[in-house]
Amino acid sequence: MIHMKNVSKIYENGALALDHVNIDIEKGEFVFIVGASGAGKSTFIKMLFREVLPSEGTLTVNGRNVIHMIHKDVPYLRRGLGVIFQDYRLLPDKTVYENVAFAMQVIEASRRTMQRSVNSVLDVVGLREKYKCFPSQLSGGEQQRVAIARAIVNDPAIVIADEPTGNLDPDTSWDIMDIFKRINTSGTTIVMATHDKMIVDAMQKRVVAIEDGRIVRDEAQGVYGYED
Amino acid sequence: MRIRTTEYFIREVFFSLKRNNWMSVASIGTVAVSLFVLGMFLILVLNFNKMAETLESQVQINVYLQDDLKKEDIKSIEEQIKDMQGIETAKYIDKDEALKRFKERLGDQKFLLDALGETNPLPNAYEITVTQPELVKTAAGSLEKIKGVESVKFGQDVVKHLFDITRLIRIFGLALMVLLAGATLFIISNTIRLTVFARRKEIAIMKYVGATDWFIRWPFLLEGVALGFFGGIIAAVALRSTYAAVTAKVYSTLAFFPLIPEYPFLNYISLAILFSGMLIGSVGSTISLKRFLKV
Repeated sequence: MIHMKNVSKIYENGALALDHVNIDIEKGEFVFIVGASGAGKSTFIKMLFREVLPSEGTLTVNGRNVIHMIHKDVPYLRRGLGVIFQDYRLLPDKTVYENVAFAMQVIEASRRTMQRSVNSVLDVVGLREKYKCFPSQLSGGEQQRVAIARAIVNDPAIVIADEPTGNLDPDTSWDIMDIFKRINTSGTTIVMATHDKMIVDAMQKRVVAIEDGRIVRDEAQGVYGYED
Repeated sequence: MRIRTTEYFIREVFFSLKRNNWMSVASIGTVAVSLFVLGMFLILVLNFNKMAETLESQVQINVYLQDDLKKEDIKSIEEQIKDMQGIETAKYIDKDEALKRFKERLGDQKFLLDALGETNPLPNAYEITVTQPELVKTAAGSLEKIKGVESVKFGQDVVKHLFDITRLIRIFGLALMVLLAGATLFIISNTIRLTVFARRKEIAIMKYVGATDWFIRWPFLLEGVALGFFGGIIAAVALRSTYAAVTAKVYSTLAFFPLIPEYPFLNYISLAILFSGMLIGSVGSTISLKRFLKV
């Protein structure tokens, strides 16, 4: 699914964010990316949906060569990915339903497919009842569930989450992780950057630790490994 | 493009026009004023052109004869004129007839001629029309060479003046248009910039979920076109009523004045104005998208 070979990233200001990173993530895996702030997690995550381009190395995501990709193909790469952020990034003037449907609208899905898919993902995240609410009427956890619904509504092969529980209390975080587990069980690859020691330790999934732009640890059933 | 998508774009455009209400009104207003001025100049230039053409095709050549000619000389001149090619009619106007016409033309002011007393300064003349307007110049040249002809006059001066005026209007109008177009582009691209700014979150999300560049750009482009379109409609309506009022006024006082009839002329002008409005709108938003929407 994701193959990084000797990938480095040097930003324009000279900062080295990633330093010869090699990693392979296969279909159906659940991978935590851990590390201190500024270690290069965000750069790693952003490369996967081509928000940031590597300075060197090769990177394929979902069978597409991310580096030698013409600009016109970028949207098609992203249609195969579901991206989730710490700050949810919902549209405040659209309802829950509209926020989720928005992701299908921009890829020009038909109205029928849209209705079916939106309702079914709202069931997955348990927000079918609140489809008419606006984001401001929801709790943080509910908003993140809407964002997850939006990320998976186009049935992506990979879900990429950047600190999805960063703004949530522990109980709510577990709800979110339950949803991720279910999505993962259905065969979707999940790559999640996180600071949440409790979650990483409890989930018993693959853990990739990044320090100073390098992968320092890659364990199949790892733990967080840092003291907060 | 799918119907649903088109529907979505159109909804977005109206939503955005409403959100930027004051900017939208200002944009539509500037577009309307600019296009109105453009339309006015277009109408003026076209009418002057038409006037010049009409005059050119209606010109009559006046051949003035020397004063001391005998009857036989005049007869011979008439024969020579009638022998020439391309001459349609040649009407003899003797000096008494000429003076009578002059008096008629002066109307209330014919007392001015009292100063002449019994003398008549006007020459005998022939009024000549030619079969084709293009022949006027050559015919005038040949007529001038006939012995006993004092001078030959046709509408060349009037036509030349009209063309000069048309050229001036054209240059002035063009300069004003460039200025107004610049102002219009500026205000439209600013409006679109506001829209892009107001929707930057939405644009970012669209990118993450895989919207194509054009899917993101279309609503902004269409908003510019809509601003131009609505401005164009206002300008077209204003132009139509202005022209209708002017023609009504002119026809009631100068019935023979060669104005271009309202229909279908005004329809063409309206179409041209609408089209220009939409063009300016799309160019304005393109400028803004190039600068502010990095997709």
